[in-house]
Amino acid sequence: MVRVTHRLEAHVLGESDWIAATEICQLCRLDLGAVMELAELGVVAPREIPPGEWQIPATALPRLRVVGRLIHDLGVNVSGAALALELLEAQRELERRIRSLERLASDH
Amino acid sequence: MEFRDYYKVLGVERAATADQIKTAYRRLARKYHPDVSKEPNAEARFKEMQEAYEVLKDPEKRAAYNQLGADWKAGEQFRPPPDWGSGFEFSGGAGRPGGARRGAGRAGRSRAGAAEDGAFHEQDFSDFFSSLFGGGTPFERAGRGAGRDHHARVAIELEEAYRGTTRTLELRRPEVKPDGSVELRTHTVRVTIPAGVTEGQLIRLAGQGEPASGAGQAGDLYLEVHIQPHRLFQLEGRDVTLTFPVAPWEAALGASVTVPTLGGTVEMHIPAGAQSGQTLRLRGRGLPGQPAGDQYVQLKVVLPPANTPQAKALYEEMRSKLDFDPRANLSR
Repeated sequence: MVRVTHRLEAHVLGESDWIAATEICQLCRLDLGAVMELAELGVVAPREIPPGEWQIPATALPRLRVVGRLIHDLGVNVSGAALALELLEAQRELERRIRSLERLASDH
Repeated sequence: MEFRDYYKVLGVERAATADQIKTAYRRLARKYHPDVSKEPNAEARFKEMQEAYEVLKDPEKRAAYNQLGADWKAGEQFRPPPDWGSGFEFSGGAGRPGGARRGAGRAGRSRAGAAEDGAFHEQDFSDFFSSLFGGGTPFERAGRGAGRDHHARVAIELEEAYRGTTRTLELRRPEVKPDGSVELRTHTVRVTIPAGVTEGQLIRLAGQGEPASGAGQAGDLYLEVHIQPHRLFQLEGRDVTLTFPVAPWEAALGASVTVPTLGGTVEMHIPAGAQSGQTLRLRGRGLPGQPAGDQYVQLKVVLPPANTPQAKALYEEMRSKLDFDPRANLSR
């Protein structure tokens, strides 16, 4: 029997959340220069509120965390990781379509 | 605990140079990285490799590990020697392999989740590693002020994402005893995961990361959500797609059918003249949110087999009476 010592309420980081770029850096193991480079490459769309302080939508977190892992674990640079991310996403979309077509074509 | 042969994990000789170790790690990391790999057990293999590389890339840790001797076999029962740690001073603990942040020993990390909860910590090295390089060993570091954030992944079913769920997690935290030594204490916490979480979304549990040492703030624990593939539904964002078999007469004449959704069955009208592959939308029947996702119902016309005299007669009648050429487009 598991004895629960605390009950925690979770906060889901969703569409309405914007996160300071500095916090994004910690969460995704990226430096600020990399985040801004990813913005230039179109991977994320930051906003500047107030002037000089950048924020990133929380919805971008899953993609940025993949980029951070690719950079740290595989030793690729920022643009290489961004390219890999887009190719991985394209691959997953194609796999999804293939699965969908296979379901249509299958006997059951 | 079981001995881990880090050289074997990376596939290098004990005499391998630092460059050879780095090359072996990079090659294997490319093959088993969970974000790119399709290999079975890629996640577990990658963790093993990260742990092995963490030790073998660091001359101090590697020298200490080598002191254990070459006679150990992977999986053999192991206990650190009584004098383990004397004569070594590490510049870091179980930092992130390949990363810039160092200095967090085993005691500085939370362990999230039993296997049944599908949760695990991203940098959760083995007990073997902890016994040698962190968690109450002579190499443990103390006192860095504010606690760091921790990350774990949690796997849930699609139905749980739809209606919300709870997970019980085990968090191991260091506590300083009256004599000044550090002891790992396990806290079991129950986390409420709200309805409508999506694949890859982060859940923040404030103050549940690395405890502060001193006046700083404790770090946060972030859970990254992974939704398991579903038997019926395919998930994309908040939308779900269902492949829905229909009889030829339902597609041709239109029909009212019962369709499963995440929230239970609903009645849906199939318009007359529907075709196989055509997709109908049930608005708001995907994962909840602002706005809620939709459910797409992709029709799949299934032909009844002509395996009885009656069925054959019906097909014969259609052939003789219907003016239908399925290959009309080919002859244009």
